[in-house]
Amino acid sequence: MTHLERSKHQQFPFHMVAPSPWPIMVSFALLSLALSLALTMHGYIGDMNLVYLALFVLTASSTLWFRDIIAEATYLGDHTIAVRKGINLGFLLFVVSEVLIFASLFWAYFHSAMSPDVTLGGVWPPVGIEAVQPTELPLLNTIILLASGATVTYSHHALIEGNRKNALLGLLITTWLIIIFVTCQYIEYTNAAFTISDGIYGSVFYAGTGLHFLHMVMLIVMLVINYWRMRNYHLTSSHHVGYETTIVYLHVLDIIWLFLYITMYWWGV
Amino acid sequence: MLSLRQSFRLATPVVRSSRAFNTSRVFLQSKSVVKTAQSLSEVNGPETLIGPGAKEGEIPTDLEQATGLERLELLGKLEGIEVFDLKPLDSSRKGTMQDPIIVESYDDYRYVGCTGSPADSHTVMWLKPTVNQVARCWECGSVYKLKPVGVDTGDGHH
Repeated sequence: MTHLERSKHQQFPFHMVAPSPWPIMVSFALLSLALSLALTMHGYIGDMNLVYLALFVLTASSTLWFRDIIAEATYLGDHTIAVRKGINLGFLLFVVSEVLIFASLFWAYFHSAMSPDVTLGGVWPPVGIEAVQPTELPLLNTIILLASGATVTYSHHALIEGNRKNALLGLLITTWLIIIFVTCQYIEYTNAAFTISDGIYGSVFYAGTGLHFLHMVMLIVMLVINYWRMRNYHLTSSHHVGYETTIVYLHVLDIIWLFLYITMYWWGV
Repeated sequence: MLSLRQSFRLATPVVRSSRAFNTSRVFLQSKSVVKTAQSLSEVNGPETLIGPGAKEGEIPTDLEQATGLERLELLGKLEGIEVFDLKPLDSSRKGTMQDPIIVESYDDYRYVGCTGSPADSHTVMWLKPTVNQVARCWECGSVYKLKPVGVDTGDGHH
């Protein structure tokens, strides 16, 4: 390639992002969500309308943001190897922070569970709490999650080998397994004999498993986006950072679930 | 799907001259095809860096799908050429006024972080050799001379 031709293309491999309204939009949407959630939960706001509004703005602005990222990556070719490495590292750091959030919730759980207060009757679960048994839905959910880890690996390897049919099929099964998991959790929550405001048991139980539940809802969104992008030929056999990060996310949530199951559904019951 | 128009914009050949009615018919009927570059030497502007796309019903490969800078990097890799100059500064010797260390640049200056010879002999000193002037490290005295390899685009380098 001549110097003349080379001078027509960017000299460095990094992606200098163009000015975009979405970071500030998403920031304010998240601020609104946090404020409206806190004010609603503490009774300063009597209805959920502000929460729904914040959720809508968050969904809309992040959808438009990710639309831009897909345009830059798939259609404009801005994601060189160096850029992909950066995105991957960024996601791994995000996952580390997620693990630390769950670490703090496990700490909160053990703080109360390992030396139950006299007001709890000195036992864990506290007197009067009918805990969810580990042989009930949580066992099925554990099996579902372990199965989803296998099917997503099946899909990923099919993608790398260029087998479109199997890649799509594996991803479809994975998505449905996670949907079933979330549904089972919903059934478990609505049938549980205790609520989040019943005392310390409900508080730490729902904070831990509930945060995991919310992550699984987000995982469904990510899997569906990946399915859509795979169908539309966005994902190539060797360039699919979005899918790889989704897979990492799924496995991390899998492992966190195993810890949740062992401690909150089994050891602590 | 919404972002497709971005690539259409890239793919559309630009008509630079206005034509009379009868000649424009001839022009419109002769379809100008932008050829996808198969190797680095065939690259001629960003329009040639659009892949042919995936085959129907198959997982695309990077060679089929990659566009833009990603494709330029890929074509280079296939030929064993790094299109991005990420090599560290030549620190095998100390540059002198007679025999300076040559630093290539597509602009009329480049920033150089000198750490002496061998590398890391001293803390980094940031220097700016320009087309008009060599830069000399005020720690070790190594001299760096710019070798402009770019093409003057006439926009005052902005």
